[in-house]
Amino acid sequence: MSNSARVESPLEHADFAGLAALKINGGVILREAKLLGHLNLRGNANDPDFLKGVKSALDLDLPLAPCSSAQNANTTIMWLSPDEWLVIVDGVTEAAIEGKLRQSLRGHFAVSDISGAQTMLEISGKDCLQLLQKSIGYDLHLDSFPINKVIGTALAKSSAHIRRTGEYNFQLIIRRSFADYIWLWLQQSSKEYGLSVTL
Amino acid sequence: MKQINRVDNGGRINRHKTLVFTFNNKTYQGFEGDTLASALLANGVDVVGRSFKYSRPRGIVTADAQEPNAIFQVGSSQATTIPNPRATQTELYKNLECHSTNGWPNVDFDLMGTVGKIGGAAMPPGFYYKTFMFPQSMWMSYEKIIRKGAGLGCSPQLPDPDSYDKLHHHCDVMIVGAGPAGLSAALSAARAGARVIIADEQNELGGSLLCTRQLLDGQAAQVWIDKTISELAQNKNVILLPRSTVFGYFDHNYIGINERRSDHLGEVDHNGTRQRLHKVRAKQVILATGAHERPLVYGNNDVPGCMLASAVSTYINRYGVVPGKTLALMTTNDYAYKAALDWHDAGRKVALIVDTRASSDGDMVKEAMQRGINIVFGHAIIDVKGSKRVKSVEVAKLNDSADKVLGSSVNYVCDTVASSGGWSPVIHLSSHTGSRPVWRDDIQGFVPGETVQAQHVCGGLQGVYNLSQTLKDGFSCGAVAAQEACKGHGNDHDDDLNVVPQIDELSESASMALFHIPHFKPTSRAPKQFVDYQNDVTAAGIEMANREGFESIEHVKRYTALGFGTDQGKLGNINGMAVTAKSLGKTIPETGTTIFRPMYTPVTFGALAGSDVKQLFDPARFTAMHSWHLAQGAEFEDVGQWKRPWYFPQPGETMQQSLQRECLATRNSVGILDASTLGKIDIQGKDAREFLNRIYTNPWSQLAPGRCRYGVMCKEDGMVFDDGVTSCIDDNRFLMTTTTGGAPGVLAWLELWHQTEWPELEVYFSTVTDHWATMTISGPNSRKVLEKITSADVSNEAFPYMGWIPAEVAGVKARIFRISFTGELSFEINVQANYGLHTWEAVIAAGEEFNITPYGTETMHILRAEKGFIIIGQDTDGSVTPQDLDMNWVVGKKKEFSYLGKRSWTRIDNQRSDRKQLVGLKPKDPNFVLPEGAQIVFEKGQAIPMTMVGHVTSSYFSACLGYSFALAVVKGGIDRKGQSVFLPLADGTTVEAEICSSVFYDPKGERQNV
Repeated sequence: MSNSARVESPLEHADFAGLAALKINGGVILREAKLLGHLNLRGNANDPDFLKGVKSALDLDLPLAPCSSAQNANTTIMWLSPDEWLVIVDGVTEAAIEGKLRQSLRGHFAVSDISGAQTMLEISGKDCLQLLQKSIGYDLHLDSFPINKVIGTALAKSSAHIRRTGEYNFQLIIRRSFADYIWLWLQQSSKEYGLSVTL
Repeated sequence: MKQINRVDNGGRINRHKTLVFTFNNKTYQGFEGDTLASALLANGVDVVGRSFKYSRPRGIVTADAQEPNAIFQVGSSQATTIPNPRATQTELYKNLECHSTNGWPNVDFDLMGTVGKIGGAAMPPGFYYKTFMFPQSMWMSYEKIIRKGAGLGCSPQLPDPDSYDKLHHHCDVMIVGAGPAGLSAALSAARAGARVIIADEQNELGGSLLCTRQLLDGQAAQVWIDKTISELAQNKNVILLPRSTVFGYFDHNYIGINERRSDHLGEVDHNGTRQRLHKVRAKQVILATGAHERPLVYGNNDVPGCMLASAVSTYINRYGVVPGKTLALMTTNDYAYKAALDWHDAGRKVALIVDTRASSDGDMVKEAMQRGINIVFGHAIIDVKGSKRVKSVEVAKLNDSADKVLGSSVNYVCDTVASSGGWSPVIHLSSHTGSRPVWRDDIQGFVPGETVQAQHVCGGLQGVYNLSQTLKDGFSCGAVAAQEACKGHGNDHDDDLNVVPQIDELSESASMALFHIPHFKPTSRAPKQFVDYQNDVTAAGIEMANREGFESIEHVKRYTALGFGTDQGKLGNINGMAVTAKSLGKTIPETGTTIFRPMYTPVTFGALAGSDVKQLFDPARFTAMHSWHLAQGAEFEDVGQWKRPWYFPQPGETMQQSLQRECLATRNSVGILDASTLGKIDIQGKDAREFLNRIYTNPWSQLAPGRCRYGVMCKEDGMVFDDGVTSCIDDNRFLMTTTTGGAPGVLAWLELWHQTEWPELEVYFSTVTDHWATMTISGPNSRKVLEKITSADVSNEAFPYMGWIPAEVAGVKARIFRISFTGELSFEINVQANYGLHTWEAVIAAGEEFNITPYGTETMHILRAEKGFIIIGQDTDGSVTPQDLDMNWVVGKKKEFSYLGKRSWTRIDNQRSDRKQLVGLKPKDPNFVLPEGAQIVFEKGQAIPMTMVGHVTSSYFSACLGYSFALAVVKGGIDRKGQSVFLPLADGTTVEAEICSSVFYDPKGERQNV
C-alpha cells in the first residue's frame, strides 16, 4: 500500500493521544494496541502436518489446550476454539504472514485476514479487576483465569476475547463496529477509579 | 425542636450530628445513624399512613423488612422520588423529604377515610372477584379510584440523575446475613482459606448482636463484632457487604445482591454509584438470615402504638428512642420480656405484662418480677382502645386451650402495646429456589426444607435462638461449607481457632403456640383483628373466605389478598395460615405453606438496569466512514444495531427533496453508498462450492474465479430467508455477502448445517464483516470516477458485469466488485476497514467534478425497488418462496445433490396458484404514495370484513419515473398483471391501483451492463 494511504484504528475518534497527554493518574490504565495484524486461522489440531506447517510459518507452536495462548517476539497465538486460532502479528506484516501460512500449510485449512475487523485494548492498573468484574461474568481469580489464558466472553452487551498477560494486565480483542460502544462502556465503568490512557 | 421520645444516652446514633428532615411537609430532627422510622418515633409521630381498604390510621409496627405501614414516597423531586421504601430500612440523611404513600390526601384528615368506611362494608374479602369483574367493562373506572386510594406510590416522572452498576463475583462461600451465625460462619470459612462474601441488609454488620444485653467473654457484644469484622476485613479473600440486601437466590447458587452505596448520604449521588447490583456465583451458600418476630392477632391491633416487642427493644437499644410513655406487653414467650425490661431501663412505665401462658419461671420473667412489674399470666389483650394512638387495652382471662376468653375484661391505660407470638425463621431466600418449607412444632415456625442447591442454613433460620448455640452452629456451618467448596485446595486450618465465647445463657420456659387471640364475640363480630396490615386482611376476613369454600392457603391468599402487599406477607402470612388452620380445624402444616418469591424486598429499577442506560442501553455499531457521515449532517437509520446513513439532507431540504436529489444524481451521474454493514463471510475449503450448492437455491458449480453471482437462501420450509452476492475468489474460496441484519443468523445457519448434517464437507467459515469497508459508486459516471483513482483496467471489456478484480484504489489494496443494486453501472470498492475513510474521501474527491452524491438507505431502497429488487424482511416475511417472488430463475433445476428448501416446494400448499405473489403496483393517482402495509382487495364495494388478498410491501415516489409505485404481494398476482386492485385505507377512502411487473425501470437491464 502506498505511504500516502491514511490508516485509522476503529477508535481514531477517541483521540487517545489527547487523553494520554492529560496524564491522569487513574486506577485503570488503558492503551490501544492499534493497527496490529490479525489473522484468523482454522485447521485440524489432530493433523500433524497442520501443526508442523504453522510452526514453520510462525516459528511458534500452535497452542492446543483450550483457552491457552503462545507468544514469541513477533507473534501471539490465541486458542479460540478446537479448530480456530487468532494470530496477532505486527501491523502491515499480516499479508506476508498470511502468504507464509498458505505456503506452509497443506490440506484443509483456512486463513482470513481480519486486521480491519478488530482492535486490541490493553487494560491494566490496580483497579482493572473491578472494571472487568463490571464488564464480564467470568471468574477473574488467578486460579480460574491464570496468566496467558484466553477466554471468549460477553463483555457488557458486546463480546470480546480476553487474554490475561499479568495479574493486573489484560488484552481485550474487540470488534471494530462495537469498539465505540466498548470504549463508552469502559469509560463509564472505570469512572470511579479514574481512567488513564497511555500510548 | 425536641425529640420527645429520645432518651438522653445510649443507642448507636451520633448525637453530635443532627439531621433535619421533613415528613408530610413538617420539619423534624433526627441524628446520624437513625432510620427514618426511629427518627419519626423519636419525634412522637404516631400516624404514618392510612390503610388500603378501611383508611385506618396506621403507625410504625416493626424495625425491619417486615414493616407494612411505614411505606413512604421518599425524595424531593420528580427525578429522585422513590416509591415505597420502608422507613424502618431507610437511613436518615440531611434534608430527607418524604410523604406517606397511603393517606391521600392527608394522613390526619383523610378523605378516603369516609370512602374507606363505606367501602369497608362494601369491600369484603374477594372484593375484586365479586365486584370488579362484573361488569368487566367498568374495571377501568374502578381501577382509577382504587389505584388512587391504594397508596402504591408514584413512579419518578423525570430521568434518574444517579448512576448504578453491576459487579460479577465468584466465591466459594456466600453468606447471607451478618448476625452471630453469619459472622461466625464467615470466620470459620475464611480461616479455612475459602473465598467468602458476606452480605447484610443493615448499615452495620452484627444483626441481633447490635442490641443484645448478653456479654461475650464478659465483654459487650460490640467487642466481639469489632474483632470479627477486623479479622474478616484483613483477609483478602473476604468481601464484606453491609447495606446489601440479598434479594434473590436463583438456580445454581446464583445470588442477586442490591448494595445501597450512597442512599444514606443524600438524595443524589453526584460522584459515585448510588446502588450496585452484585451477581454472585457461589459454590456454597450459607443462609444465616435469622428470624422475624411474629405479632399476635388481637382486636384493633392496628392502632398506632401497637408494635412488635422486638421492635420496641431495637428502638430503645439501637436508636435511643422509647416509642411511648406507658407499655403493655403481651407475649407467648420469655424472650419478649426483654422489651419490658428495656422499657423499664429507659425509665418509662410498664403498665403490665400479659403472658398468655399459665406460668413461666425463666430468668427474664424473674427479673421482671423482681423489678415489681405487674405480670398477668393466662390472660390476653383482647382489644385496644384509641384511634390515632393507643389509649388503653382490655385484658381478659384465657381458657386452658386459649381459644376462648372467660369472665370480663379489665381496662389498663397505656399508649404502647408490644406483642410477641414467637419467631418465624426468614425462609424467603431458601424458598426462591423451590424448596418447600417444613413446619417444626418445637419452634412453632417453618424452616427451609430439602433443596437441590449447595445450600447450608444456620442460626435462627433453623430455629437456633440461643446465642452460644448460634455461634457454634455458624462456626461449624462455615467450616463445612468451606470444606465442600475448596475440596483439595483449602488451608490446613486449626478448628481450635473457632472458639465460641463464654456466654451466660438465660434460662427460658417453653413458649406457647398462639397466634390469634380470641374475643368474647365471635371473630366476625369482634373488633377488627388484623393479620395483614397492608391489605387490611382481618382474621374475620380469612374465616369468611374459609366459610365460602376457600380452604387451600393459596386460594385464601388470592381471595383475601393476604400477603399481596409490598411486604409480601412477611408480617402476616404465618398468622394468616394459623387463622385458617384454626377455622378449618387443621394443623398449620396441614393447611400448607406459601412460597416466597424474589425480590426479598423491592429493588429499584435503577439497580436492575445498572449502567445499561442511555447510550449504553444497546450497542450502536459504526462503519469506518461514520465520522464523514456525521460531518455531512446525515440522518441515520437503525439497521440491526448499525447506524446507517438514511439520507443526507442539504440545508432547507425536506426528506422527500433530499431523496429526489439523491436518486436523480445517481441515475444521471454518480452516487455513493456506504455498504460496509452488509454481512461478509469468508468461505474456504475444497468443498466450499458444494456447500454453496446445498445452501443456496441456485447452482454454483460453474462460477469461475473472478465472477460473482446473486443467490437466495431458503430454510427447510422452502421460504426465502436471506439473499446476497457471493463471489468466487478462487476454486477453494468464496466471499459470501448477506443482508445487514441477517449476517449473524446466516453464519450460524451455515455452521449448523456444516456441523450437524455435512461435517464431511471440508469447509470453514469466518466472519469478515468488520474487516472490509465497502463503498458502492453507482451511476453512469461511476467508471470515470473510479478510473481517476485506480490504474486497473475497469472497462466493460476487461472487467465485465458480475465480476470482481483485485486492484489498488487510492493507494490502498482493494477488491472491486461489479455488482449493482440500483440497476446502474456500479462498482463496489472493498478495502481493509482501517483504510476505509481514506479511500472514501479519495472517491469523493475524485467524484467532485461529477457531483458525486452520497446517498443513504432510503434512496437505496427507492432505486432498488424501481428495479424490482427485493429486500428480505421488507418484501418477504418468512412465508414467501422464490416462486412467489417470480424468481424461478434463481432455482437450480439440475443440481446433483438436493438443497435446502427444494423438497418443500412440492408441498401442495406451496403449489397453489393463488399464493401471494410479488408484483408491482401503479396507483391510478400517480402522485399518491400507497402506505406500506396497506391491505389489498379485488372488489371495491365489499362489506366489512372484506376479502383481503395481499398487502403493499414497499412504496415510494420515484423521481426518475415521475410517478409513485409500489411492490406488493397479491394472491395469484403474477397472472393478474394489468388488472385493478383496491386499497381501502384507514381514513375510509379507497385507492385504486394497477397490477404490473415489479420491474419499473430499465427492464432489460441495459444500464448496469455497460
